Amino acid sequence: MENFFPITLLIPLPGVKLGLGNIVTVFALYELGALPALAILVARCLLGSLFAGNASALIFSLLGGLTAMLTMILLKQLPKLSIFGVSIGGAAAHNVGQIAAAMITLGNTMVLGYLPFLLAVSLVTGALTGFVSSLLFRAMQQVKLSH
Amino acid sequence: MTSRSLTVNLKPTVLDGVVVAAVIAMSVLVAAVFYGNKANDDKLTAVVSVGNKVVDSLPLFEGESVHTYSNNGYTLQVSVTDHGVCVQESNCPTQDCVHTGIITRNGQSIVCLPAQIVIHLKGADLGAPDAVVG
Repeated sequence: MENFFPITLLIPLPGVKLGLGNIVTVFALYELGALPALAILVARCLLGSLFAGNASALIFSLLGGLTAMLTMILLKQLPKLSIFGVSIGGAAAHNVGQIAAAMITLGNTMVLGYLPFLLAVSLVTGALTGFVSSLLFRAMQQVKLSH
Repeated sequence: MTSRSLTVNLKPTVLDGVVVAAVIAMSVLVAAVFYGNKANDDKLTAVVSVGNKVVDSLPLFEGESVHTYSNNGYTLQVSVTDHGVCVQESNCPTQDCVHTGIITRNGQSIVCLPAQIVIHLKGADLGAPDAVVG
């Protein structure tokens, strides 16, 4: 899905993605609560790496995803924070987790130099997913889901 | 079913700005720690790590050369010129190392995750100014 949006044309950094999957995580976190959202995230990572057939990709998606999830669970506790702040914090934490995964798999701290650029980009991508999520919530308020 | 009284705050708030500021601060801090240390007077050298072992140290400005490194079933062709270092060709699936392009300054690196190869530049810079402000 994300390959349809060649964001690397806009931002010439290798490996930058929009993080559209994070919309699912944000929505689940608000709508279903922390534990179900966590379960969805882990399932998403496991299935993703199963279909991509890459075990080292699992470390990346899991570490990034879990760091983002824990950060968003904490940020969500702050009543004065909107979905934008939660989403941006999550996007930034995701990059921190992935750089940590890269440092573990490479056994080399040189990748840390990449973090400032990724954090800067995460401000934009986090705000974007926050915006899309807010649209989603607005739309969902019109929809009745039976629990 | 209960009425949907969502407790989601959908409009940006001041505290969101604090999150943004915190991310910017973190970015600047890491950048300062990572790129801020003064380059020593050694010649600019490309240090190549494969796996997590340093396997090669290639000084720049000693003519052009191409070096080949293999790991995890992937092979990278690293080109060293007087301008800098780049991965000319790689058979890795993501091609991030190739797309990183040429690196020219102390502290910069090219990382190929599938092959677990890192090329890191260290040593004195070319002496060019970072920016000219007029």
